[in-house]
Formats: sequence, C-alpha cells, structure tokens
Amino acid sequence: MSSKMLQFVKTEKQMPEKRTAAERAKDFDEIYADFSKAKAEEQASRCSQCGVPFCQVNCPLHNNIPDWLMLTAENRMQEAYEVSAATNNMPEICGRICPQDRLCEGNCVIEKGFESVTIGAVEKHITETAFENGWVKPAAPAIEREQSVGVIGAGPAGMAAADMLRRRGYQVTIYDRYDRAGGLLIYGIPGFKLEKDIVERRARLLADGGITFKLNCNIGTDISFAEIREQHDAVLIATGVYKARDIDLPGAELDGVVPALSYLTASNRKSLGDEVAEFDNGMLDAKGKNIVVIGGGDTAMDCVRTAIRQEANSVTCLYRRNKANMPGSQREVANAEEEGVDFQWLSAPQEFTGSDKVEAVLAQRIHLGQPDETGRQVPQIIEDSTYELKADLVIKALGFDPEDLPTMFNEPALRVSKWGTVAIDWKSMMTDLPGVFAAGDIVRGASLVVWGVRDGRDAAERIDAYIQAELRGETKAAG
Amino acid sequence: MKPALDRIQSEAEDAVRGGCEHIMLTDMAADASRMPIPMILATGAVHSHLVRQQLRTFASVNVQSGECLDVHHFAVLVGVGATTVNAYLAEWTIAERMEKGLLEGLNMPQAVANYKKAIEDGLLKIMAKMGISVIASYRGGYNFEALGLSRSLVAHYFPPMSSRISGLGLNGIEQRLREMHDKAFGGEATLLPVGGLLRYRKSGERHAFDGQMIHAMQHACDTGSFDSWKKYVSIIERQGPVNLRDLLDFKSGGEAVRVEDVESITEIRKRLVSPGISLGALSPEAHETLSIAMNRIGAKSDSGEGGEDPERFSLRENGDNPSSAIKQVASGRFGVTAEYLNNCQELEIKVAQGAKPGEGGQLPGIKVNSIIAKLRHSTPGVTLISPPPHHDIYSIEDLAQLIYDLKQINPEARVCVKLVASTGIGTIAAGVAKAKADTILISGHGGGTGASPQSSIKHAGMPWEIGLSEVHQVLSMNDLRDKVVLRTDGGLKTGRDIVVAAMLGADEYGIGTAALVAMGCIMVRQCHSNTCPVGVCTQRDDLRAKFEGTPEKVVQLFTHVAEEVREILASLGFTSLQEVIGRTDLLSQVSRGDAALDDLDLNPILVQAITDGQRGGDIKAPRVEVPDTLDAQIVKDAESALETGGKMQLSYNIENTQRAIGTRLSSHIVRKFGMTGLSEAQINVRLRGPAGQSLGAFAVQGLRLDVIGDANDYVGKGLSGGMITVRPSNSAGFVAAQNTIIGNTVLYGATAGKLFAAGQAGERLCVRNSGATAIVEGCGSNGCEYMTGGETIILGEVGSNFGAGMTGGMAFIYDEAGTFMDNVNPETLLITRVTTDYWAKHLEGMIETHVAETDSALGKKLLNQWSKVVGHFWHVVPKEVLETLPHPLADDVDLRDAS
Repeated sequence: MSSKMLQFVKTEKQMPEKRTAAERAKDFDEIYADFSKAKAEEQASRCSQCGVPFCQVNCPLHNNIPDWLMLTAENRMQEAYEVSAATNNMPEICGRICPQDRLCEGNCVIEKGFESVTIGAVEKHITETAFENGWVKPAAPAIEREQSVGVIGAGPAGMAAADMLRRRGYQVTIYDRYDRAGGLLIYGIPGFKLEKDIVERRARLLADGGITFKLNCNIGTDISFAEIREQHDAVLIATGVYKARDIDLPGAELDGVVPALSYLTASNRKSLGDEVAEFDNGMLDAKGKNIVVIGGGDTAMDCVRTAIRQEANSVTCLYRRNKANMPGSQREVANAEEEGVDFQWLSAPQEFTGSDKVEAVLAQRIHLGQPDETGRQVPQIIEDSTYELKADLVIKALGFDPEDLPTMFNEPALRVSKWGTVAIDWKSMMTDLPGVFAAGDIVRGASLVVWGVRDGRDAAERIDAYIQAELRGETKAAG
Repeated sequence: MKPALDRIQSEAEDAVRGGCEHIMLTDMAADASRMPIPMILATGAVHSHLVRQQLRTFASVNVQSGECLDVHHFAVLVGVGATTVNAYLAEWTIAERMEKGLLEGLNMPQAVANYKKAIEDGLLKIMAKMGISVIASYRGGYNFEALGLSRSLVAHYFPPMSSRISGLGLNGIEQRLREMHDKAFGGEATLLPVGGLLRYRKSGERHAFDGQMIHAMQHACDTGSFDSWKKYVSIIERQGPVNLRDLLDFKSGGEAVRVEDVESITEIRKRLVSPGISLGALSPEAHETLSIAMNRIGAKSDSGEGGEDPERFSLRENGDNPSSAIKQVASGRFGVTAEYLNNCQELEIKVAQGAKPGEGGQLPGIKVNSIIAKLRHSTPGVTLISPPPHHDIYSIEDLAQLIYDLKQINPEARVCVKLVASTGIGTIAAGVAKAKADTILISGHGGGTGASPQSSIKHAGMPWEIGLSEVHQVLSMNDLRDKVVLRTDGGLKTGRDIVVAAMLGADEYGIGTAALVAMGCIMVRQCHSNTCPVGVCTQRDDLRAKFEGTPEKVVQLFTHVAEEVREILASLGFTSLQEVIGRTDLLSQVSRGDAALDDLDLNPILVQAITDGQRGGDIKAPRVEVPDTLDAQIVKDAESALETGGKMQLSYNIENTQRAIGTRLSSHIVRKFGMTGLSEAQINVRLRGPAGQSLGAFAVQGLRLDVIGDANDYVGKGLSGGMITVRPSNSAGFVAAQNTIIGNTVLYGATAGKLFAAGQAGERLCVRNSGATAIVEGCGSNGCEYMTGGETIILGEVGSNFGAGMTGGMAFIYDEAGTFMDNVNPETLLITRVTTDYWAKHLEGMIETHVAETDSALGKKLLNQWSKVVGHFWHVVPKEVLETLPHPLADDVDLRDAS
C-alpha cells in the first residue's frame, strides 16, 4: 500500500509556485499557481500514511486526507476526487482558503522537522483536475422527494446544507440578500485568495443540480420569515454574522473610518465588474492613500493586502498583541509582510484625529501582562507611549457580531444567546422553533469557512432525520 | 435465518444421499430483496451437518463468496469446512483495477494468479502458526476461538470451537446483516466508505488510541499535571467500549478510605513493567530511556529480544542505570550471551507474543544497521525473522530444562515465562508453574507495535482478560497460585485498567504502548518502514535525532497511573493493591448502551475459583530454586582459578542426570572476568561418562569441557565463547563417525565458542548459531536453520532441510555419498565446491584442529587422502554475505557477483 508513500524522508516540501510580491500587487488574481501533475504526485507521496492521521483529526470536515493523498500519488485522480468530495462540498475552495497551517498541515506529524505535506495545494489540484475532466457533476438524486427546505443564506454553511439535502432528493430554495450567491466567499474574501469565478462555478453547480436561488431577497422585507416557514417543511438559518464590531474611541465617527466588510465588498464588486459608487467616488479606494487597518485576524490581512493592490501610499496594520499571538493564519501574515505591509505589533489605537475626515491615528504601545484564565496574555497599555500615524483611510477589522435576527425576522420567539447568536439544541441543531434549524457563524460566531461547511452538512443530516421522523408521525416537541 | 440454514442443511444432506459429489454454496444471488447468509455460517452449518450425518467424506463443499476478500476470511472458510473457495468479488475488484489501468504490465490471469499466490502464502503462514502443514489437516479443524458468539450457536454450527464469552446469536447476526443490507440497497448510491480498520479514520472503526487521547496523555506526562491525566482518562471513558474490561465496573460497597491511607505511589510503581520491545524495533534512545526511567522508580523494563549493548550494563555518570532489569530470551536468541543473562534481575522466556501468537519477532532489513547487527550477531541489512518456536522447547519438560539452564547461568534472577491469552491457557500455565517459573506473563492481543503483520494484529490473539482470568482460576484450584507471580500486559493504559487486572488476578502489570506514547509515539504505525517521524521506532540517524522522549516523561506516566490506582483503591475502601488481587467479586458487568454488548456473558471471567486462602503471588518472594548441578562441586574445586584466573585442570565421572554442566561455573567466570577475560581452555574440565542435557549451556571463554563419552540434547546451548569437545571412550565398541554422539538442538543460539564432536549430532544442529564454530561428523534434519553467523563443518551426511533460512556464517559438508543436494534447502544459499587454495587450506586446518582436539578417526582418514577428498566437500554460503567474505569462493570467476 505504501510503496509510493512515506517519501518525506527523501523528498522536500515544496509549495506550488508563488508569484513575486511585486507581480501580486498588480492584480487581484490568486498568488499560488496550481501544482503540475507530477509535482502534486510527488508532494502527495510525502504523506506518512499515519495510523492516527492528525491531519484528519484536526480537520473540521474529517476529510480522509491520507487516502486522497495516496490516490493522488498513485495517479488515481478520479478516485482521489471522489474520496475528497465525499466529505467536502467545496474542496476547491477549502484547498485555497483554509488556514491549513492551523488545521491539517499544522498537525501533520511530519511537520516537526520535515515540514508538512502540502495538503491544501493537493486538495486544490485534485478538484481542479476533476473540473477539467468533467468529473464534477451536479447533484442527481436517485429519488425526488416532495418535502422542501428553505435555506437562509448562500454562504458556505447554507450552500453545503443545500447541496447535501438536494442530493437526498429534497426540494431546496436558498434565500440571500445579496445579488450573488456565496456570502463571504464572494464579497468578503478577496480574489487573490479565492478568485470569484471559482465561487460562481460552485454556485452554478448547485443551481444545475436543481437548487433554487432567490437572491436579492431580504427576510423580513421582501419575504417574511413566517412565509418561509409556511412554504417549507424545514428552514435552515445560515445567515452568517455581518455586524462589524465597532470601536468606541474619540473620532471613530469621522469620515474615512470604515468597517472592513464595506471596504472588501466594494473591492470585490469592482473585480466582478459592478458599479460601486462609494469606490468610484474614492471613498473606499485606497489608491494613493495612507491606510491604517486595525485588527490582527484574517479579515485584517485581507484588508491590508487589498489596499496594497489598490496602490495605497502606505499600509499599516495595528495589532495589540505580538505576531505569535495573532489569531489569523501565519501564512497570510507572511504573505502580507512580503507584499510590503507595515505591521505595528503591540499597538492599539487611542484616538482618530482630523477635521471633517480622518487624517491620523494616535496609537499607544502595549505590553503583554499575565495570562488570564484562557491562557492568553492580557494586553496592557504602556503609559506615555502615544505616537501618531498618518491615515487617510482607517479600516476597522475587529471582528463580526451577529445581527439582531429576532427583530429583522420579526420573530421574537427565535431565541438567541447573550452574544446574539441563534440558540440551538446541540444534538438536533434545531432552534426553539419547530422545524427551524440554524448552522454556521450565526450559531458559533465568526469562524472559518470549513466550519461553515461542516455545520451545513451536519444540519442537513439533522433536517433529513427531522423530516423523516415527521413523515413517520414521530413528532416530538422541540428540545 | 434459522429456517434458511435448516433448509440448506437438509438440501445438502438430500443431495449427498442422492449421490451428489460436489456441493456449491453461493451468495451471488443476493439482491435488494434477498440477504446473503454469512458464508462462514452457511459453510459451518453444512459441514457440521454432513459430519453429523456421516456424509461429509462423500462430497466436497465448495463456496462462492462475495464477503471473502482477505487471507483471514479464506482461512476461516476452509477451517469451518470449505473444500474450495471462490472469492468472486475479489476477482471482480481486480478486474476493475485492471480496467482502470492500475495494474500495469499484468493481464487478468496473471493478476488473479498473483492474488491466489498471496492468499496461498497467507494460508500457509496461518497454518504454520498452528503447526499444520497440509490444508487437508486444517480443513474443518475449527482452529479458532470465537469471541462473543453465542455458545449454543457455536455448539450447533461450529461444534469443536470454543467461545468463552458467549453473546451474539442468530437473531443478532440477522439484525446486523439487515442493517448492512439496508445500507447497501436502501439509500442513494454512495462511494464505498474508506473504512478505518487498520488505520484510524473518523468515520471508521473505533481504535483504542485516538488522536485526542494521545495528545491528552502526552500533555499529562510532559507537564506532570494529574488534572491533565484525569482529562485523558475521561476521554477514554467517553470513547465508548473497546475492550472487554470496558464492560466491567467496580462494585461500590465498602466505605471509602482517605487516599493518604493507601500504599504509596512508590510501592504501586514497583508492580509496573514496561514490556519487551526489542532494541531494533525501538531506537537506541527510546529503548534506553525506558530502561533508565524504570530503574529510577524501582520498576522493571524488559529488553525485548534484540540483545543489549554491554556498555549499558554499567551506571552512567549521573547514576542512571540504563540496563534493562528484565532480559528476554526469545526464539531468535539474538545477543543472548552469558554476559547478557547475568546483567538482570529477571529472565523472561518469550514463548509467544500477544499481538502475533505463533510468530516470532521480525525485524526488516532496513532497520538492521551496524549497531543492531552487532548486538544481534548478524549481518547489517539482512531481515531477521525469529523462528516461531524455541528450538529447545517442544514440551513442558523442555521448558523446565530451559528454566533450569537459566537459573544456572544466573544464580539470582527470577524466571518469567511469557504466554499469550487464549482459552485453555490455564493448563499450560499450571505446567509452567510446575516447571519452576517464578512469574507467568499473560499477554493480550492489544499490544504490539505497528510492525506486526496486519492480519495478526486484527485476527490473532485474545484479550488478556480472558487469559488472565483462566490462568488465575486454574492456578488457584491447583494450589499453585501463590507459587508464582502473575503479570499481564496488552493495551493497559490507565490506573483503572491496572485495578481491573488486579481483580482478575494479576500481581504485576505491563504498560508498553502507553509508555511509547509518553515518549512521543503518535501512532504513525509505520514501525516496519524505518520512517518513524518522532524517532521512537526507527534506526535512521536523522529520524533518531527527532526523539524527544525523556525518562522524566516515562516516570510521570507511571506516577500518574499509580496515583490513579490509589484514588480508585481509596474510593473502594482498600489500602493496597494486594488486597484486591483476585477479587473478581468486586467487579460487575455493566451496560454500555449496546444491545449486542449486553448479550455478552462475562461470568466465565468473573468466576471465583476459591473464596478463601491466598489470592495472589508475592512479588517480593525469593525465586523458586532448582537443584544444584555438578557445578556446585566444580565451583568449589575451581575456587583458586576463579580467584586468580590461573590455569586449572579438573576431572569428574558423570551420569546423564547431571544437567547443564559448566553453566554455573560460566556465570562465575563472566561475573569475575567478563566474556573474554580468560584465555581459551584456562579451566579445563574433563568429564567421563554420558553428560545430561544442556552440557556447556552458555559456557564462556576460558572454560573447556572435554567429554569422553557422549552427551544428551542441547549441547552448547547459547554457547558464549567456551569450548566443548565430545568423543567416545577408546573402549567404545562402535565406529564413532557412524553414531550419534551428541543429541538434538546442539549449539542453538550459540554466539561464540567451539564445539568438536567425534561423532554425529542429532536434529537441528546449529539452529540460530550466530558465531560459534562446530565440527561434527554428520547431523540430522534442519541443520544450520536460521543460522546468522559462525561456521559449521560436517564430515558426513546431513538430514533434510539443511540451511533453511540461513542468512549468515558458512558451512562445509563432506558429501561422499552425493546426497547433500537432495537434503539442502537452497533458497537463501550459494553452494559451490571448494576450488580455491584459500578455502581448501582453511578447511584442512579446521579438520586438523578437530583431530587434535578429539582424535577423530574420520578426521585422520580425510587428512591422509586430502587431495582426493577435498573435491567431495560442498561450501555453503548465504548469498547475502558473499560480499563480506575474506576471499572469493572461486579464483577464476568472482562468484560474489552471483549475488
């Protein structure tokens, strides 16, 4: 079985070719090339085929990574694709944007000293090969079921759930308030990490498989939540979390202090060829400006790197902890550094200054104190350390919170947690409302795409079980 | 399913009574509306029914099965009575792979022939493990043990098979079948699941160690936090049942005591052992770390079978003791020298291994580097396969002899005999106890590294719970329990496991896999590939550098285990482990939420054989002594020589009841002077008469035993540098060269030394010899089997299967009758005539020495007509060592190229 495998002792790790920072700055295309077939086979053969594969253990989807690595190394690409797609509804997307360095690759047992297998790049290669060869097919359910499910939100969780339910023969409608499907995949994540046609291709597959998309559809205004419940046997809330976490500092209300998502969406829309007034009038365009991004997560990295591509004059990232403590993927931080972002670690904004629009950020230096109960060191401001950064555009990338769904949906009975996330029964994934399920960021808070896919798949399974139990007449009160 | 089986039985009976000669059972007609009966069950039903009707011999029972894919399935089908087996689905699968172009360079008949060859080789291996050599003897032999099948079902369909833990019956089987059938035909067509039987997959089978557990345990051992340890334990509890013991729980009853009142961690740790994992399997760093850690806490580590570097027999500068307290004596006898045997507190005879009963240890060539080869007295790069049996143990008397020999070569060490769990082991253990073993180790199937063959890991071996309980019961009933210490191992990894094992009767507890995990093992399970990325199970220098294990981590593991034991004991109201040994009344079977598991009847392991008297052994008791041998006298007589190392000449008349002569003396010599401190024959002991068994066992350099008479079996067993000569007395009325003068199994496992015998040897001469030189005048079958070093010269005929599996050393055979080529097993050998001066001279010189030492008439005759007879000699050299020879085998052609 392993004749071709276990090559890590001889063969070095190699990532697909990465374009130079200078080249990258010129466009919004992805920065990694695809592996050549030979390279993918070679790199896949480095897998140690572990008895306990920690890559799988630490993959939210529990992808059977060693198996498709082996199949790739043996040039059995169609089988590799089938195994890969069996546990993942969008492997080509996860292969590109998963923070592998914190999940599969970060836990690869040969990582220590040999550097991990390039799992993400191989995953991408497998699925792209499958697309090229026409192996990727829309859902073709063996039986058609009458029962229907409404999915609110066309992001990763919603799409994964819809796909799984459709494969089981359910009639599925996805509602989304944007004009394109994909959620954060389409408008949140920049093209240099995930080119937009990749997302559109996946959404098209779902549509081709018989899933109905109702886009530009706001729940509560275009259609009421009650109506959706009426129309479907079950409803899945997978709206994601969109409310930008705000910053309560003097000057925060100034023009030019903007939330990350507005900035990223504008940029993505431009890439897709849309007219965007706020960009065209220069407000959300970084060109020639001094940009300060506040935050240290993946969204902050997306912002700084977008600004570089928009030919900003300078791009500075303020983060109150140090590099080792950044929540984002280290690989993205490294890419941003390469591209010329100035990272100001251990710095926090104190005040935004300017007359009518922002002109500068006053920041303070931070010292990391004793760890709190979560084990993270608490940032403490160093007295008299204030310094000034010139800023024409300040982007707040401090994370996202849930919107007020009970109000938006006009459904006060929809119970939410103290953080505003939708409360569900963890076993059934059902909310307090019978037949209404929830999954993804709106339940767990802002998280990774791969967790969204996982939740979507789990929700599909629970919804299926619920509908089947209903059909058998085993109705029971929601837990 | 019962009516269907009844119908098949009666149809088969009718057919045979009607004159049908071949019965075909097939499951090919399975479809959405028809479920297939498991073919093993159908075959057993037909076979047992025809046997009952006395009709079986009139017809063949042929099966066509889609379930049957691997060797194990074939073996079970044949074992329950199938005459032929057609694995059609396996063939279709091969055809599909062929279509996909995955079997380049093969056509379909070739591919199927390869599959058939693999299955047949596997069957041979399985049969060999049971000591069966022809398929007809295996067919219908029911050489299996059922685990969890209903006793009545087994009695009905698989009559002679044992099923100690009764459980699943026909209804249960049918229900499981129905679930699988629904999955196959009921839902959407999906991809075949990836499974997870051999390697963990989230969606596959449950494994005893999963990722979370590994990390939790390593964290607990790295940090020393007992809270972390308890997290690890709770992960195991949450995991769901894996082992029989997971279906047992402690009965609450007695009043809890304070943990402070329970015996100390130090006391409990003394009962813990890190079981035998050889140096070779483990990297030197990992092997030594275990020993140092166990010595620090006064517990015992086991060397495993690969020998140990003598450098480790002395303390390190910081006071650490890197010598394993237990030295293993396994069938390969690798590195088992007098010195090795004298540097330990306990000697363990490994009769079998829990993870792969019936097989010897196996070390792939890639792991045999120069260090390993040196310690094992073998050739680097050459795979080392230990023979399945000990060639000196074919009966319980033979085992008693080996125990006796070991107690001679080491005057203090206790002797442990390692057995594997299976039904019927109680009787064997009683024999072992009577053979004067001090400790009996019952090894379960849960242990073993990832290097064990997969079919053995999954399908051979039994849980220790079954073996241990039976042994404890049988020993108790026969008043033998307090004579021995019972030890168990095989997947123990928590304090709870230890307490359960104690209640089932064990005094000591082996923790192997968990100890490896504490040192950094992450269950990559590529132990055979030499690519362990954490440096635990590899010999590559770059990978060994990755090793991060420390004695501290291992000590921490055993400390955590002991602390957990204390907590459990306190909660049950006991203050020492000794109090709960054998207290099966404190255990009860519990439900773990699975109807099939609830059906299991664990009562047979919970039975109390005796309800009063001594329950356990005494781990502090002195060893069971064996009677003295002639050496008691020799040691007294040789006192001055042992004092000063001076030359000495002694002489005795002997009888064949005097066994292991020279062994205890060798112990004195090696302890005083080391392996090479005395020069050859410094102490010369002349013996007149017939020597008993194990003459000169483990004899060391400096000792010469000169027998005028003859000798029984095991002459020079484990010879470690000593010299033995045997010749008939001048008054003997027979031709020496035509008579057997030394018995069977001569020089088994010898590592150095010389043997000259003016007469023939019995069977199994020089098996596993790795360094001794022997000249005899003929031998029985299986000569030089598995030999890895040394030289054997035979001046007469040899029996069959000469040189099987020989991978080192060389042999010369004088073949006047021209029969040698019929008797040799040439698989690994290059056999030539002696054509070079170099080798002719060498041989002549050896025979001259033989004559000088034994006055051999045959030797003299050969030397007299040397130029005539040298052409009758064969020179036998294993192909793998050709390149290391001091001189090529032929002058004109360099035969070394022939390799």
